[in-house]
Amino acid sequence: MSSTGVQYKKKGWLIQMSPEKQDTLLKMLILSMAAILSFSTRLFSVLRFESVIHEFDPYFNYRTTRFLAEEGFYSFHNWFDDRAWYPLGRIIGGTIYPGLMITSATIYRVLRFLNIPIDVRNVCVFLAPLFSSLTTIVTYLLTKELKDAGSGLVAAAMISIVPGYISRSVAGSYDNEGIAIFCMLLTYYLWIKAVKSGTIYWGALCAIAYFYMVSSWGGYVFLINLIPLHVIALMITGRFSHRIYIAYSTVYCLGTMLSMQISFVGFQPVQSSEHMAALGVFGLCQLHAFVDYVRSRLPKEHFEVLFKTVIFLTAGLSALVGGVLTVTGKISPWTGRFYSLLDPSYAKNNIPIIASVSEHQPTSWSSFYFDLQLLVFMFPVGLYFCFSKLTDANIFIILYGVTSIYFAGVMVRLMLVLAPVMCILAGIGVSSMMTTYAKQLDVSQQDRKTKRFESNFFMKSEVAWTFLTVMMALLVTYTFHCTWVTSEAYSSPSIVLSARSHDGSRIIFDDFREAYYWLRQNTPEDAKVMSWWDYGYQITAMANRTILVDNNTWNNTHISRVGQAMASSEEKAYEIMRELDVDYVLVIFGGLTGYSSDDINKFLWMVRIGGSTDRGRHIKEQDYYTPSGEFRIDREGSPILLNCLMYKMCYYRFGSVYTEAGKPPGYDRVRNAEIGNKDFELDVLEEAYTTEHWLVRIYKVKKLPNRGV
Amino acid sequence: MEIAYSLPFAVLEIPNLKLKRPSWLHQPSAMVMYSLVLASYFLVCGGIIYDVIVEPPSIGSTVDEHGHSKPVAFMPYRVNGQYIMEGLASSFLFTIGGLGFVVLDQTHNPSTPRLNRILLISVGFVCILVSFFTCWVFMRMKLPGYLQ
Repeated sequence: MSSTGVQYKKKGWLIQMSPEKQDTLLKMLILSMAAILSFSTRLFSVLRFESVIHEFDPYFNYRTTRFLAEEGFYSFHNWFDDRAWYPLGRIIGGTIYPGLMITSATIYRVLRFLNIPIDVRNVCVFLAPLFSSLTTIVTYLLTKELKDAGSGLVAAAMISIVPGYISRSVAGSYDNEGIAIFCMLLTYYLWIKAVKSGTIYWGALCAIAYFYMVSSWGGYVFLINLIPLHVIALMITGRFSHRIYIAYSTVYCLGTMLSMQISFVGFQPVQSSEHMAALGVFGLCQLHAFVDYVRSRLPKEHFEVLFKTVIFLTAGLSALVGGVLTVTGKISPWTGRFYSLLDPSYAKNNIPIIASVSEHQPTSWSSFYFDLQLLVFMFPVGLYFCFSKLTDANIFIILYGVTSIYFAGVMVRLMLVLAPVMCILAGIGVSSMMTTYAKQLDVSQQDRKTKRFESNFFMKSEVAWTFLTVMMALLVTYTFHCTWVTSEAYSSPSIVLSARSHDGSRIIFDDFREAYYWLRQNTPEDAKVMSWWDYGYQITAMANRTILVDNNTWNNTHISRVGQAMASSEEKAYEIMRELDVDYVLVIFGGLTGYSSDDINKFLWMVRIGGSTDRGRHIKEQDYYTPSGEFRIDREGSPILLNCLMYKMCYYRFGSVYTEAGKPPGYDRVRNAEIGNKDFELDVLEEAYTTEHWLVRIYKVKKLPNRGV
Repeated sequence: MEIAYSLPFAVLEIPNLKLKRPSWLHQPSAMVMYSLVLASYFLVCGGIIYDVIVEPPSIGSTVDEHGHSKPVAFMPYRVNGQYIMEGLASSFLFTIGGLGFVVLDQTHNPSTPRLNRILLISVGFVCILVSFFTCWVFMRMKLPGYLQ
């Protein structure tokens, strides 16, 4: 009440907390901001268009998730789909990675149980951003194990907006990679914990996380080769100890047994070459530990003799057994997709389907800079700090970084695997440099002049301030770049296109959904639709009709047959279409709107794939070029090209359409030429539907005439 | 055990060889490994695998209005394509930028003379700033709509 001469100054509540509590509060604040940021930066396309599934592959995942949510797990596991790959069908239960579908269906069921009715489609659309928030948190935990909490926070902030990861996990991109990156980093975190602690508990948790990873993505092969590589590196540098032994033995045994529970994986872990490294390292671990034990028991000379004998015997025996198994075919060689990572020219020379996928092309420097910006500069810095203080965990991240740089250089799609390790190493680099410089800041004002001339440090405090300012400016430019890239390049749904007209207003091209819904409502239930394999998943998911080939591309001969039909003349194509019971044909045509990913631009791939099998021998790529070797659709174009089925379907009635001011009718806006073959009639097809902007064209196959002519 | 061990020598004769492990062969130090990794980083980021598979020209060329062919350094409008020289130039900048930070980290030793420290600090800052800014300019030249 009355003052007794004591000055009482009320301290703010923030300063009243102990340093540990301030520390925890700051960390939780930064982590939650990073998690919320990573969720919100992926919502551009939902805000601009609507909550819709993007691209091609996600439509298949959406259809299977819907089936799982409605029918239950056992029918899903035993599902044989007769509406795709007519007349072959596809065993869906045994040929997919079910992790994604099961995760979505579980979330859907849990929300329904809590009486929050969110539709399956919305769960699918927003699943990837949700898992990206979880990835942010796991990255923090992983980097904390590798270096310290400061690096963890920087890495978490960087991975929340890095474009390389956003490109495959934007809202609407409902694909395996959305959850696979989270599972991969979780497995790595638990592996590092297992290596550092050497307990079976952490090893078992790592095996369970590995099981989740195997169920979600085919890229688990990377993990099951990176972890043994890490163990070998530790052996070579002399860091093998009982902790690594326990960790790897637990992870390998439990992990392999769990991974074989997925039907798609089956017995591959003991049969295919991609898994043999893990098995070999498991054997090597046992031998190494046994040798260490025996060495501690035997006198030196006896040990030398025994050691040399065992080495020669084992090496010889394993080479013999391995050779015999490979030659007799019990161990299958590396499959095409993974072999092309080791020998990049293999796909280009041998398997045109793998070579034609745009995501499988090698990477150029601009893709690296575009997807990572500041991180490509900080990657060597992080590596430098890891190399200067080598620990068991640092060696792992170095191996991860080096291998993923190489794989990202081979295939653009694998930039996704590179992005997390870039963030982790950049976080380590940024945090270490800023910590060293922050310690040199002279905040107190006393005795600056005298101190400066004593040591031979040059303007210690000023240099520190300059460096910190420069670093912060670089991080700010990183943020601007990432947001710009996300907004402009990675947020387009591909199923809905938008463009600006000359007066500035936006035109929306919703032709794809218009065509698929026309198919759904105006064709009989058992109609078969032929199109190029790109559109297969979308047709089954939205139009609900049977198709011949889809994006799974598991049967090259069937796709080649479709390619032959597209590339042949009408009469020959009619034979193929009657053989396959085709009722409708669907093509994508971009000549009116200027949409450049249409079927005419993909046509050469149809010719190559069509001519790559036995029955397509008569289709040669050279026939479709002009005598001077150009691919032209105007008057100079090759007559075989101007009369093939694809050309006729795309340009039927196009010869009388004016597309641009000052150009003749029938001017193709993508190829920038007037078409060569204008006024023709179709003999075996009749036009069923053309969408508003002529993007999708559907034709009905005429039945055989009743009387022989 | 001795019987099994001496069995091959009933048939074979031991040659009089003296093989020694060469003394210069030892495990490389951490920094040697780091420089090897950095060299491979330079090559891969320069798009060497793209160059081997797609075989682009070293420098592109266009024809201007008078019919003379002009060289084009950057393949325009495409993020996923490059010429060989532009790839190597950019990855050189990436590596130099990273090394700038490493140089700055070496300036904290109290026993280096003053002049050396000043030089190292300025080299470090110049490396970082020039490479970052030049890469930004390169990207703008490649993608005219970059950061609008």
